[in-house]
Amino acid sequence: MFEQVEAFYRPASVREAVRLLASGKGRARIVAGGTDLVVDGDPTVRALIDITHSGLTYIRKQRGGCAIGAATTMAELEESRTILALGGGILARAAATCGSVQIRGVATVGGNLANGSPAADLVTPLLVLDAVVVMAGAKERYKLPLAHYLAVRGAKVVRQSLLVEVTVPRPLGRRCGWSFQKLGRTALDISVVNVAAGLQVDGAGRIQWARIALGAVAPTAIRAGVTEENLRGRTLNAEAVADAAEGVMREVSPITDIRASAQYRREMCRVLTRRALEECAAQAGCAL
Amino acid sequence: MKTMELRVTVNGQPRKWTIAPGDLLLDVLRREGFFGVKRGCEKGECGSCTVLVDGRAVNSCLMFAAKVEGCEVLTIEGLAEGDRLDPIQGAFLDHGAAQCGFCTPGMILAAKVLLDRNPHPSEAEVREAMAGVLCRCTGYIKPVEAVLAAAKQMGKRATRKRRPAEVAR
Repeated sequence: MFEQVEAFYRPASVREAVRLLASGKGRARIVAGGTDLVVDGDPTVRALIDITHSGLTYIRKQRGGCAIGAATTMAELEESRTILALGGGILARAAATCGSVQIRGVATVGGNLANGSPAADLVTPLLVLDAVVVMAGAKERYKLPLAHYLAVRGAKVVRQSLLVEVTVPRPLGRRCGWSFQKLGRTALDISVVNVAAGLQVDGAGRIQWARIALGAVAPTAIRAGVTEENLRGRTLNAEAVADAAEGVMREVSPITDIRASAQYRREMCRVLTRRALEECAAQAGCAL
Repeated sequence: MKTMELRVTVNGQPRKWTIAPGDLLLDVLRREGFFGVKRGCEKGECGSCTVLVDGRAVNSCLMFAAKVEGCEVLTIEGLAEGDRLDPIQGAFLDHGAAQCGFCTPGMILAAKVLLDRNPHPSEAEVREAMAGVLCRCTGYIKPVEAVLAAAKQMGKRATRKRRPAEVAR
């Protein structure tokens, strides 16, 4: 399948990896776990750049939030105390659903984002955690909010950069609730729909802010901005949850494919959003 | 075609192989005679090609061979010590946990990773650990029973080994 590949590099630094990527003239590919790249089987690839020796495997606490190296695996995320303690552990939970043990031992956070699947399991939790992506370009490093990265990842300058880190700011304050919901055909399946949510209520049970992200129902995973705005200031009760669950159906643009019809996906957005907000409410101490 | 050298330890023996930079681990292992590594779906779905790389279960169909430079690879051929089967292999025999046998190497290696890390797993944990290996004969009950039995047996053996030391103390 990869008979045309002429070189396999193992750069010991990010700088070297980025240089190799640039010299590959669009025919070099970054390899971390390789679980998407190999299945993709692109016959135009001529060089492979393995970044698992480039110092990108780490999870560090950082100003109350954390910084995750791009080559950190799903298995490492699942088991990390830092990740389990972050935002109700939704990122660890999402990582734990990302395929079999064999996949999760090698598949990485960087690959999950850079491969750009709209169904990628880590994207929705990272969107509600307000994650920022750190890119290493030929000359300098730059940061992109995850939602922005998803929109511009096809651009030439981004394709010639290496995704090196994902940072998650400190989740805000008390009375927060978080949830990750995934619907797949089997336990190991890619998502038919996945939803992540987070919110905070004040002492009177009013919603201070709400974040809802939906995956596999638009060209990229999306934040349901209108629904989030409509929730702000409302009392968190069954009616608010039901309205939000209805609301997200108007913000998604699912397609019909081998896994599900557009209609079913839209309906499941409602169901998973309701479940997610119910879980958030329970964590935030609100009886619905 | 360009080639490169790969130094890797397979089943305890150091090897030096010439590979192509785009070769997959599955292809290299089978080319070198390790036919216990099965070619199934070649998409990371079925787990028949499971091997251990530095103690971690991977789908060898999805891994570039060049990635195992300097690593220790264990295939099903390396699990028994001479004629002495690994307890998991023994338990699979005792429980009739193989039907056609094609998925069995992957099942046993997935179970080994689990028991190395978690010697007393629950049934749910066994099922979760084995979920990445599909059996087209649909025989899932007996392998799970076999792994639980192997865990029990290995636990007993460990206790037996410990006792003399305790007495000595």
